[in-house]
This record gives sequence, C-alpha cells and structure tokens, in this order.
Amino acid sequence: MSVSEAAPGLARGSAPGQTARPRRSRLARRRRRAGILLSLPAVIVVVALLGIPIGQAVYYSMTNWNGLTAQWIGPSTYTTALSDPIFWRVLENNGLLLLSIPFAIGIPLAIAALLNEHVHGWRFFRSVYFLPTAVSWVVIGMVAVQFFALNGLLNKLLAAVGLGSVQTNLLAGQRTALLALAITFIWSMLGTNTIIFLTGMATLDPTLLEAARVDGLKRRQIFFRVTLPLLKRFVQFSFVITVISAFSALFSLIFVMTNGGPGFGTTTLEFFVYQSAFSLGQFGTGALYGIILFVIMIVVGLVQLRLIRSEDGEGW
Amino acid sequence: MRHWKVLAATAAAALLATACSSGGGSSGSTSSPVTLTIWENYGTEQNATALKNLAKAFEAQHKNITVNVVSQPADNYFALLQAAAVSKTGPDLAVMWTGLFTLQYKEFLTNLKGKIPAADLARIDPDALKWTSDQFNAANGPYVIPLENQFYIGFYNKAAFAKAGVTSVPTDWTQLFAACKKLKAAGYMPLTYGNGGQPLGAEFYPWYDMSYMMIGAHPVTNWEQLYSGQIPWTSAANEAQLAQWAKLKSNGCTNSDVLTKTDNLGDFESGKAAMMVDGTWDTQKFTSALGSKVAAFVPPFSDSPIKGVVDFAGDGLSMTNYSQHQPQALQFLEFMTTSQAAKIINAAGLIPAINGTSTSNPVNQQMLNFVSQDHMTAYPMLDNVVQGNVVNTGSKELPSVLNGSISPKSALSSMQTTLGQLPSDQRGTSYP
Repeated sequence: MSVSEAAPGLARGSAPGQTARPRRSRLARRRRRAGILLSLPAVIVVVALLGIPIGQAVYYSMTNWNGLTAQWIGPSTYTTALSDPIFWRVLENNGLLLLSIPFAIGIPLAIAALLNEHVHGWRFFRSVYFLPTAVSWVVIGMVAVQFFALNGLLNKLLAAVGLGSVQTNLLAGQRTALLALAITFIWSMLGTNTIIFLTGMATLDPTLLEAARVDGLKRRQIFFRVTLPLLKRFVQFSFVITVISAFSALFSLIFVMTNGGPGFGTTTLEFFVYQSAFSLGQFGTGALYGIILFVIMIVVGLVQLRLIRSEDGEGW
Repeated sequence: MRHWKVLAATAAAALLATACSSGGGSSGSTSSPVTLTIWENYGTEQNATALKNLAKAFEAQHKNITVNVVSQPADNYFALLQAAAVSKTGPDLAVMWTGLFTLQYKEFLTNLKGKIPAADLARIDPDALKWTSDQFNAANGPYVIPLENQFYIGFYNKAAFAKAGVTSVPTDWTQLFAACKKLKAAGYMPLTYGNGGQPLGAEFYPWYDMSYMMIGAHPVTNWEQLYSGQIPWTSAANEAQLAQWAKLKSNGCTNSDVLTKTDNLGDFESGKAAMMVDGTWDTQKFTSALGSKVAAFVPPFSDSPIKGVVDFAGDGLSMTNYSQHQPQALQFLEFMTTSQAAKIINAAGLIPAINGTSTSNPVNQQMLNFVSQDHMTAYPMLDNVVQGNVVNTGSKELPSVLNGSISPKSALSSMQTTLGQLPSDQRGTSYP
C-alpha cells in the first residue's frame, strides 16, 4: 500500500486519536534512497563548485584579502562599503541602465512584428537584425567608440543633415557616456530579442489571428489584443535575460568603450568588482561587491519570478 | 651493531649530499642551463627595448643562462603578478614600480639587502634606492633595482614657439596662458591631451599633471601630508590649482576631446601641437620625430615660477621570493648596476639610475640639468607616493575636471572620501 492509500488521518497500527507519521512502503523507501544516492554526485559537484566558493567569497568579503594574506575585519566591511558614495554612484548607474530595458525589449518586438508580416526582403532583414548577436561584445564596443567619438560617424551624420550645432562627444560626459553605453546595449540585445520574439510568433496558432481578422480587428489591434498576450511567456523570458545582461554581462562593453569612466559615470557594480579586485589588488573588497551583486541578482530574480507566477495565478 | 650504525650514517650523509648537489644543480650551478623569466609591462615604450638589450648582453656574458622576457598586458599587470605569486608560478624577475607600489607587493618580493653586494648597490643613485625600501629608507634594503631615472616632464616644439613669438619658456600659470594665446593665434594646438601612449590602458592619465599641480601647491617635504591626510585633498590650495588647470581647456589651450583623443602623441610628433606633458619613456620617440626642434620644459603649474621637477626612479626589476633560480636572478640584478648596463639603458634613450653615468640624449640631459644646474627640487611621482585607492579615484575624476564636466571641488571631495574610507593602517602619519 502506498502512503496515499494509507490516508486519511491514521497510518496502519496507530491508535485512534493518536497522530502517527505515515509509513512509507519498502519500495518507496528504496526509491527515495536511490534518488538521493543518484543525485548525490550532482549535489557534491554543486556544493564543491558553487557552495564552497560562495561561502569563501562571503568569508573573504569580511577580510582585507590581497590575494596572499587575509586579515579578518568582520561585517563592518559592509557598513564601510555602504557608506561609500562611490558605491551608491555605481548602483545608480546600474539603476539608470535598467531604464534601457523597455527599449531593449520594445524595439526588437516591433521589428519582429514587422518581419513576421513577411514584408518585402524580410529574410534579409532577419539576418541583418540577428547580426549583433553574432558579433563579439568587444567588437561592438570598439565600433561604438568610433561611432560616438567627436569625429565619429554619429556627429558626421548630424552635420550632414544640418544638425552640426548639436554635435557632441557623448563619451566625454559622465551622463552622456552612460547614455552611449545604454544605446549600445540596446543595439547589442537587438538580435537575441528579435529572434526570441520571431520564434514566439511562429508558434502562434494562425487560426486565432485569422479569427481576429474576421471579427474586424485592425492589424494594430490584432497585435496588441491577440499577438502580444499570446507572446507573454516570450516577453517574460526576454525580460529576464535582458535584465540579467544589464547587470552582469556588460563588462566587456564597458571595458572597451569607457573603462568605467569618465569619472565613475559608466562603472557598474560588475565592473566595480573587477576594478577593486584586479586593478587595485583588493580581492577582499572585490568579493564584498561580488556578494552584494549576487544578493541583488537573487532579489531581482525573485521579483521576476513573483511577477511571472502571480500573473499565472500560482504565486510562490 | 655499531658497524651497522656507521654504515647507515654514511649512507644517509651520502643521500643528503646527493640531494644537496641535485638541488644546487637546478638553482645554483653556473654550468647547467637555466632559463630566467622576466615579466614586464612596458608595451612599446623605450623601456622594453632597454630590457631586451640588457637580457641579450647578460646572455652573452652567461652562456648557460637564457633570459625569457615576457611582455604582459599593462592593464592588469599587477593582478597577474599577484595571482602568479599565490600559485608560485610567476617569473623569477618582474618589473616593479617603486614607491608605494613596491611596498604593496613586497610580500612576494625579495629584500635585496645582503643578497646583492653593498658595493654594487652603492653604484645606484641613493635617491632612487630609497623609494624601493621600507619606510622609504635605503638603509632598510631595496626590493627593486631601478632601471632608470624618469621624469614626468613637458615637451615643447621650439620651432612652434619661435613662429608664435613665444620667446621664453613659461614658468607659471600666467605665462603659460599667455603662451597658449600666442600659439593658438599662430595656428597651433598649444597643449595636446588624450589617452595615446598610456601604458596603463586607453585612458587619459592625469597624474603627470597632478604631480606638477601639487609641486606648485606644496613643498616636497609636505607631500607626505597628502598621504597622511594632514593636508586634505580638498584644501583651498589644491582646489585653486585644479581650477587653473581646468582653464587650460576652457581657454582653448587644449584640444576639445581631451578625454577621448587617441593620437595626441601623433599631434605633437607631427608639429600640429606645440606642447605636451608626458615622460622620459617617450623622449626617444619625440627626438626621432622632431630632431633638434624638441626640448623639455617643466610644466609651469604654479602661481609663482615653478621650482620643482618630477625626477624619480619610477620602475625597475625585483626578484620574486619564490623564484627557483635566485642565484641567476641576483646575477642579473647585479648586472643592472654595471656601467655596461648603463650604456645599454642610455642607448635606448633612457636615463640610467647609476652614479657617474650620463645620458647622450640632449633632451634627457636638459631634464637632468633642471636639477643639477637650475637647482630645482626633485619630487617623486605623486601617484607612487599616495594610496592606490586615492590614485584610482583621481584617475577617474581628474580628467573630467580638465574636460569641464565636473568641478575641482567635486573631484577632490571624491579623493578625500576615498582616503577617509581606507583602513587606518593605510593612512598613518608617515609612509609605511
């Protein structure tokens, strides 16, 4: 008899009014044991490669570890970091970069919608829009530097259309450099997100769209009322990877384009980890900022999960 | 039984002797082939040429020793060195910057006191040695044998000055702005700034200029107070100096893209720009491009005629304490103190840090004359004698001051905040 069959209320052999733990069958116990044994190697690998390093990082974040020796300081390292205005400036940059997320999702969505209409030359444009995904972040960064430079393509284009007076060196100002970085980030996410949305649109049942047309909905109404709601899962997925990229995949772009400057204008928390550990040789401080980034990513992940699940009515 | 014991003791002694001789064979023998590895972060500077030629000359003298000079990326050179020290897989000898850089990394370096004969050390400029020793006192023993004496210095184009009617080299802010005006009127870019030629990466490095601003603000004896915080970075004197510096761009003395320009060296070499603040590692480049038209001047970042010049043995070679070839590595360091080494260093266009040697490059000689004939005070490089974190914040913030993006007060406040965040043992009242 299985556990489920032994319910409700009492397990075999228990006295009335006495709550007893349900007994498992021998087979269930053996299966459970086998399951634990079989998953043990994976658990060991995860603990060894993730758990222990994370534990070490937490420990080192409370020391002044320089790579060779570590002196214990304690949790005060966190209060010191949190009272550093540069740290908050860096977090602010991360926050401002999040403002680019709607564009990094909205523009590819619009492009995917157009391509899905099979406009003239859509196959060619599909390849063109996918191009940023195939190009290394380093190359994208180098091209972007040339594009935004004072004598770069952007300013030449502005001059060519009679807007020479608004020419500016975007990479020279702290806020404008962040804007240039955000624009480059949006461009670099274009291919990935477009393909995600195109894939999503290809999975839609064409009869639903046809029915909407028969009901007299216009193209725009079909997109917003039928296509977009059906693409919800794909938009959520795109949102998740774009947010994660904004937090933890911009290193090479920043390194090549601005090296975190001017000032701390384009230094993100991820880049700050690198600079603390590898430019200044303060691995303890680097570990500290790494832990903070880790916690932020957990919180962001949980919030995303919450939003996704609550929309499904499941909660967590 | 006793006979057995004697036999065992003899065998053990023989084994020990074998072990010792085999150990010596791998490290101390002068006949077995040995490869010495040297890491450097010089990029394309003249220092790289000098080091390669030193290695060749050393190999010629020591047939059993091969010297493998490895060029490492300058951006994260010290992180690489540190990581290699953890696993003891780094080089036998490594290029090391002097001042606080040396002290920061001394845990994996060897103090050379007693390792290199005192007579050899005595051949090196004592002022150069002191900046590589604990408490910056040469008596404590150096960790680095300096390669050269370096100057942060200004270069100017004599032909451009003559054409613009600038008859004397400016010695203070007022004269500098006046010269800028004339040079600009004559069609020259007065001062060119950018990130070209930086060994540290593709960004404008402000510490050459900052050193001269602090020379203009404080006597050399007070610089330690910048380290300790007794003179706050936000002091009125510092702020005033930065405000003048920022005027260079706002008055049109510089190019407009100071933060992002990559070919500023090219501008000077081509004669388009009349002045540039740089260092001795580029002297040879400039003399090759401009010949006798190029000359050195002391950046006049001072309200009164400037009286100090950055003359500092900024880098050299140190031996790692985990090196498997210490005897050979020490031989190389000893070789660096010889007159033959001095000739090689000079031939690369650098200024040897060895007593009694001279430089054949007239522009380098001019720099030496600032101290020996004009009696200017020799200052260290400011970025070598203030905390790395403060240097890092300054490197980030100061370029934006010149660009006009942030105020001097804001940049200096950031530096002061960084200093305040440091643990107390990193901002004592004297150098560590």
